[in-house]
Amino acid sequence: MTTDSKWGKETLRQMLLIRNFEETADKLTLRGKVPGGMHNSSGQEAVAVGVMSALDPKDVIATTHRSHHHTIAKGMPVNIVMAELFTKATGCSGGRGASMHLADVENGHFGGNGIVGAGVGIAMGAAVGIKQMGHKKVAVGFVGDGGVNTGRTWEAVNMAVIYKLPLIIIVDNNQYAVETFVERVTGGNDIAKRGAGFGLPSFTIDGQDVEEVHKYTLEARNRALAGEGPTFINALTYRYYGHNVGEKGQYRTQEEIADWRSHRDPIDRFSAKLISEGALTQADYEAMINSVAKEIEEAVDFAEKSPLPDVSTILDGVDSGLLGASK
Amino acid sequence: MEEVFVPAVGMAMDNVVLLEWLKNPGDQVTAGDVIAIIETDKTTMDLTCETSGTLGAHRYAINSEVPAGQTIAVVLAPGESE
Repeated sequence: MTTDSKWGKETLRQMLLIRNFEETADKLTLRGKVPGGMHNSSGQEAVAVGVMSALDPKDVIATTHRSHHHTIAKGMPVNIVMAELFTKATGCSGGRGASMHLADVENGHFGGNGIVGAGVGIAMGAAVGIKQMGHKKVAVGFVGDGGVNTGRTWEAVNMAVIYKLPLIIIVDNNQYAVETFVERVTGGNDIAKRGAGFGLPSFTIDGQDVEEVHKYTLEARNRALAGEGPTFINALTYRYYGHNVGEKGQYRTQEEIADWRSHRDPIDRFSAKLISEGALTQADYEAMINSVAKEIEEAVDFAEKSPLPDVSTILDGVDSGLLGASK
Repeated sequence: MEEVFVPAVGMAMDNVVLLEWLKNPGDQVTAGDVIAIIETDKTTMDLTCETSGTLGAHRYAINSEVPAGQTIAVVLAPGESE
């Protein structure tokens, strides 16, 4: 199928923006600029951008410890994301959260978090609210291939099914739970089948194909809006870097990583398709790469120059105000 | 010019101790060579260079503490100076 040129270019640019952000942030983390560690999503861009491009800005997402790609694709400006990684006051969480606690509740981003398998439950809660209030929107919960072996994920899936909640569950399946290969720890070795057992439409898709991810998410969203309940999508993808920045990574071969990078890279595949269809010229593509690099450079500059949170604000946001600690 | 630096690899970025220099200023180094050995609060680690060239000055002495993220030496390409 031919890709719409305008959509294709915007989608490609988003993926490039995420890739450059992650590779830049990885280096800065090694230099000690990012306190508290960081999880690089390089390689998983198509899952984030494919899903987000099928959503309405008012839809809700809840994500995982690896959330930069979801957050940028959801529309948070890269300078705000970078500032949060640097724990600066201008970051989305006021510099309190760093890499793992990116959030923007007003714009439907219910946050990353450090708890394996927590994202689906948070999104399911949002979906309960959406249904109760009669809103025309959906919630999307992200979980990893490690998180699908936690009980809380499946409790949330079950509840979404019995209440026909407007929820989409996306397994951002990068095949390694920290250092453990998915097949070694997944009983039955078929995550989508496990989902289907809960009685909802359940699919395994190519998470390196941004258009496939977009299509399945769009269909899931339409079902949810029509009152038909949740959908489970297991998107197969791959992370190019370690679980966290600086990891030694002796649990997989360099050949395996090189194979994914050279044969299935979501950006290479999609840019090649757009160019072959005439939707994008090589010159456009190079200009896009340069403009993305400039945007990330500016984001780093913004983060560097932003102040750390003022120490007098340390209790802000700690409680609801009842104890008098927060302003 | 490549900066050989102490990577901040843990969740907490403590100082490390520079245990040993394996290359001296002016030595020709090849990509992948171990330049120095450092000790973190958990383990010892090799610091390697990614490019080939001439090693610049040692910026820290043996047994001194180095903050994570800091450059300990540079690898100079032909014609470059520190």
